[in-house]
Amino acid sequence: MSDVSEVAGKPIPVPDAQSAGYWTAAAEHVLALARCGRCDRFTHPPGVVCPHCLSTDPAFVFVPVDGRGTVRSWTVVRDSFLPGFAADVPFVLVDVELDVQADLRLVGRLADGPDAPLHQGDRVVTVFDDLAPGVAVPAFALEAAS
Amino acid sequence: MTPRFSARSQVAIVGYAQSPIVRHAAVPLGALALDTALAAIADAGLTKDDIDGFTTGSLLPTSGSHASVDGVSIVTANWLAEQLGINPRFCAGFQGFGQIPGSVTMAVNALATGAADYVVLHRALHNPPKGRYHGNPMTHAPGAMQWTAPQGYFGPLTMIALPYNEYLQRYHASRDAMAAVLVEARANGSRIPWSYWHERPITTQDYLDARVIADPIGVLDCDIPVDGVAAFILTRADRARDLPNRPVYVAGYAMGSPRRPRLPVHWPLDDIMEAGFEVARRLEEASGLSLREVDVPQLYDGFSPFVYFWLEALGICPVGEAHRFVQDGGIRTDGGVPILSGGGALGNGRMHGVPQMLECYLQLAQRAGERQLPSASIGLACHSSPHFGGAVMYSAEPL
Repeated sequence: MSDVSEVAGKPIPVPDAQSAGYWTAAAEHVLALARCGRCDRFTHPPGVVCPHCLSTDPAFVFVPVDGRGTVRSWTVVRDSFLPGFAADVPFVLVDVELDVQADLRLVGRLADGPDAPLHQGDRVVTVFDDLAPGVAVPAFALEAAS
Repeated sequence: MTPRFSARSQVAIVGYAQSPIVRHAAVPLGALALDTALAAIADAGLTKDDIDGFTTGSLLPTSGSHASVDGVSIVTANWLAEQLGINPRFCAGFQGFGQIPGSVTMAVNALATGAADYVVLHRALHNPPKGRYHGNPMTHAPGAMQWTAPQGYFGPLTMIALPYNEYLQRYHASRDAMAAVLVEARANGSRIPWSYWHERPITTQDYLDARVIADPIGVLDCDIPVDGVAAFILTRADRARDLPNRPVYVAGYAMGSPRRPRLPVHWPLDDIMEAGFEVARRLEEASGLSLREVDVPQLYDGFSPFVYFWLEALGICPVGEAHRFVQDGGIRTDGGVPILSGGGALGNGRMHGVPQMLECYLQLAQRAGERQLPSASIGLACHSSPHFGGAVMYSAEPL
């Protein structure tokens, strides 16, 4: 994991009514995803409507989930257009389908770095990058290497 | 087959103008737009007083922190009408992706219903003079950006890199194959006087040597940001017959959008293709034509992988085969399917779906000059991703 002082200056997520539970859990290095209180299915990112049952009062609850998943794609970012990433490039973003529910996908940094061999179907676990005191963002690491 | 689209052949393009495509225009974008609109009106054999409709999609398509200022960095339909001193019967902007097919549908619907008689459809694209095109100094990520920007997942390059790599991995393709797309786009663009890349073709080696930004996307896989404006005049077929240019008729159109919400800029390959197959089906249903009848298919190429996705969605080659198809000469204007005969965005500059629409018009109106294709009866102009855009079919004769 990167040291906080090394990553200062990256965009800091601003929690809102739909996302506060996600960021509160992430700060504790827990992946908690929004589960609809009506149909019990997960959604990411959570909006004002559950995309599964179309409830307009989905009463999302942020539930800690097993952060394991499968790599569907990736890219090596060599030039970032945001502040705070100049020292990180090149870095890898992985597109991960989580085990917890079919087609539930997250995109995050791969902690193993740009030289790690990657394949579709590789297994990853969720880890966390600390962005600032009390702010962490979910990332991934290859399961075999973790 | 009976077309679902009851306005088939009732509306036609009757004139156009295209400004020079440059990195930074010498005049403000609005001035360029006004001059280009007037040139299109004159090209159609009309005067300003004939125009009673305006439409566009005015989005400044950048992730950068550039302000959208009407007349300076964007040009809305309302701005253009006001500056021309016209109080139009119909004036509307298209707010989705696929701004060109989107605004064509609005123009066609307005004309076919009698809401307007002569519509100016324009598109003004801007390259801000200061700061990186996609550069954004955000220190905080509110709203949708909170889900992606904190991990450095931002902007259209990573957006297209993920489904493109998904494609390469799934079909065991090499990124080198895309050189055939770039060489073809730039060869055709080099023959177009208004293109930013006029007289500047590239070689396969140029493509392979170019800087990679977000693997497998390199700098040459992206269209270059430009200042440029195009304008088209559309009217009903009965009025078109009295005008100087050969009319090009709208035969049908179709749009597509993803079935489920995703993270911002997250475009999984299956989302793209699922919607793309549906767009293809809807095009045939709307027009009553088979896509096999299209002899001027202009595929969208704002990022080069869109060429693969459209080739396969439209059935021009089998799924998973586009990378071989392009390497085997399948898209050569000379001898293959001329999907980039108009140079596309890669061969003209970041004019969004304009080069595709313009090439369909020029070819079907027999106005393509030395680039005129031997067979130009049915055109197809695609724009954007198959799952966030659409396409318009045109015919040289009323159907």
